[in-house]
Amino acid sequence: MRAFEQLYDRHCRLVYGLVFRIVQQAGSAEEIVQDVFLQLWRNAAQYDAARGPFLPWLLTMARNRAFDNLRLKSERQRRREDQTEEMPVICTVPQFEKQLDEKRRAARVRELMTGLQPQQKRAIELAYFEGLSHTEIAEKLKEPLGTVKSWIRNGLLRIREGLQATS
Amino acid sequence: MSNDLSNDVRSGDQFGELLEAYAMGALDAGERAALEAHLATNCPDCVPALQEARWLVSQLAYAAPEAVPSDMLRGRLMKIVREEAAREAPRVAVAAKSAVPYWMWAAVAALLLVAAYTSWDARQLQRQILDVNDRATAELRSREKIEEELAAVRREARILADPESVKIALATSQPEIGPLQANWNAKLGLVVSGQKIPQPAGDRVLQLWLIPKAPGGKPLPSQTVRPDANGNFVLLVANPPELMAETKALAVTDEPAGGSPQPTTTPKWVGGVS
Repeated sequence: MRAFEQLYDRHCRLVYGLVFRIVQQAGSAEEIVQDVFLQLWRNAAQYDAARGPFLPWLLTMARNRAFDNLRLKSERQRRREDQTEEMPVICTVPQFEKQLDEKRRAARVRELMTGLQPQQKRAIELAYFEGLSHTEIAEKLKEPLGTVKSWIRNGLLRIREGLQATS
Repeated sequence: MSNDLSNDVRSGDQFGELLEAYAMGALDAGERAALEAHLATNCPDCVPALQEARWLVSQLAYAAPEAVPSDMLRGRLMKIVREEAAREAPRVAVAAKSAVPYWMWAAVAALLLVAAYTSWDARQLQRQILDVNDRATAELRSREKIEEELAAVRREARILADPESVKIALATSQPEIGPLQANWNAKLGLVVSGQKIPQPAGDRVLQLWLIPKAPGGKPLPSQTVRPDANGNFVLLVANPPELMAETKALAVTDEPAGGSPQPTTTPKWVGGVS
């Protein structure tokens, strides 16, 4: 129980911040975060550590639940359901990864995002926080599809390089 | 790059360019299907690269603006978890025929979470198991201590409230310090308390003595106490060694740590038992 409380206290802000960013509504965000942590409590045995570290799994679950809450239907939802399983996806922490604490990591990631070209940042935000596909982002921004793909990929690679340089 | 790539012939490098977008769920249907078909071949480059791309994408969560959930959320969640742990505990306890309290099973369940969280590091897991064990043991000891303290406080309260308790003022000849108050109940015991009492020097203590009525009787040593930083103390003697009727007076002296078998200093406080 105490360990669960510690787990919650350690990660609730990050999970809540992510969910709130997606659903933009405090009440819904709290419901989702409660569901996510309850699932964690009830199904801890289903977590297979051999498949990857815990936190990316928790964040993937929270992001999925947030999108579910928005009742995104059709292609977008199907795409997400296909690609992001409820239980942990296989995920590897890269060799360069350093165990920054959450506060410093958040500051670093935000700094790296701010350092991106505005279009790169916007395209990544639309994909990650709003669940849009390449094509949907291109339509929304009225930019060529190839350009949007490049923005997202190059932006993510710059973030990766930045995190690597931090380590 | 077309949207429908099912007939595309791509190299591993070209698929590699899609991995981050795939991990984000941003690929359109055609590209997604083509990439999944490629991943199904267990491409030695793309499969591990995808795993790392998933980690990279998860880091984007940190880019969300800082937001703090309410304390009410934490309260609700922990209440549900506690209730579920409590419901689960009797079943587990009966099955194991164990007297282990429910919170310990909850700790085990929580340990599963912690284990899952860190089990790729076996040494860390071992440390955490030991830590939980230590905490469970410490919690048991702490609970026993609290229960003892609660029992003592209840007894003190009963002694102080019982009209049959005899009040004894322990006066002092030193004007700079105040008197002590004793309440002696024949059935429940003896409580001695003081306020704003200077702490004895070093690790010395105050020791209570029962002075017998019998001529030539030696003072009977009782318990020791050290006032807290504010000079307050409450001393409970649940089973005084002598009957009240056979005790002439109470006295308190300044003694070395652990107390003495007979007084080594002149009493600071003395009060007659009427």
